[in-house]
Amino acid sequence: MKAVRILLATGAALLTASAPALAHHAFTAEYDQTKPVSVTGTVSKVEWKNPHIWWYVDVKDETGKVITWGFSGGPPGMLMRRGITKDVLKPGDVITVSGFRAKDGSYNASGGSVVFAKDGRKVFTAGAEDTVPKN
Amino acid sequence: MHRLSPFAALLALCILQPAQAQDRASLPQPGSGQAAIPRLSDGKPDFSGVWAGPGFGHKPDGPGDTDTPLVVRFDRKKMSPFKPGGEALMIRPLTGDVMQDDPGALCFPNGLTRQLLAPYSQQIVQMPGRLVILYEYMHFFRAIPTDGSPHDADADTTWMGDSVAKWDGDTLVIDTTNLKEWVFDSTHDEEGEGSRWHSDQLHVIERLHYLNPNLVAYDITIDDPAIFTAPWTQNFQMMRHPSWKLFESICEENNRCEAGKCTVSDIQKNNNSK
Repeated sequence: MKAVRILLATGAALLTASAPALAHHAFTAEYDQTKPVSVTGTVSKVEWKNPHIWWYVDVKDETGKVITWGFSGGPPGMLMRRGITKDVLKPGDVITVSGFRAKDGSYNASGGSVVFAKDGRKVFTAGAEDTVPKN
Repeated sequence: MHRLSPFAALLALCILQPAQAQDRASLPQPGSGQAAIPRLSDGKPDFSGVWAGPGFGHKPDGPGDTDTPLVVRFDRKKMSPFKPGGEALMIRPLTGDVMQDDPGALCFPNGLTRQLLAPYSQQIVQMPGRLVILYEYMHFFRAIPTDGSPHDADADTTWMGDSVAKWDGDTLVIDTTNLKEWVFDSTHDEEGEGSRWHSDQLHVIERLHYLNPNLVAYDITIDDPAIFTAPWTQNFQMMRHPSWKLFESICEENNRCEAGKCTVSDIQKNNNSK
């Protein structure tokens, strides 16, 4: 597994950013916009399901312990209307993903977009409100 | 001190993009072509097909027959002035109770007005005298007589209401009443407004007419006498997507962090409990 980085980003830009408004629910109903998180690890599972896709990333911390983080993206249909299909993320992919932690403090977060370690490719995975990063 | 990673900065830039409602300058133009619009056997315009409604930007977002979903809210500047007490009926500060603040997060229905702007596709099935709208999001539907039938005097008050329609030339006019008091649109305190609600006196008028064979002008009039001093209208467009089909949408299937309390997935149990 690629060297793991867990960054609890506290930069002013993120703290002052507006939290995304999701189509299905209010961002603030489930996530804490004051707790951004960015991890790098290996995708272990992808759930292409409603109301939001989820993908899981195995992340090794400084002690070597592996934690499985869950990230929530856009609804499957909404992503497919953009031309983003269910094979966009696959188990084994090494990625960096950033988002905001769930309000309950668990290892779950919103996930806005993904950067692949092998080639730096960016993939948009969020809801309707965000701009698609153009590769 | 933590540093902001380039990716985090990119994400911040992304989420700083405001939700963009449809506006005339950014929408497709009707064009000067005089291609014939689809018509039914009775000569009326035929709106059958799968459409991207107001919750899309009507711009391709990838290869093929794609579009851009957006979170669209009704424009405060389009609204008529509030009646005394109307603003308090509509604008409701957050309470911390998800059922009050955002019942959609609990997989409750959008209700008519929020559904009209939702970034999910819809299919219209039309025949002489009747039109059916199938909404992808949570599989809601409206079966609407188009022959000028009156409202059902015994209709219950519901999330989608009682809709009837008539023709004004080539414009289809859909009139909806009997809506229960519910969330008005997808406002989630973005501008400190809390949530927006409509009253059970809401009366909605939708007007559809073709601009070209795949583009429809879609005007929504909001008449809520408990809240506003007068009806008001916001103009949108709908674009037909010939290759689209409706997807299944089961909100309860994987609503993992409902009300901010996440369930632990099987794959997380394996690692995170060690």
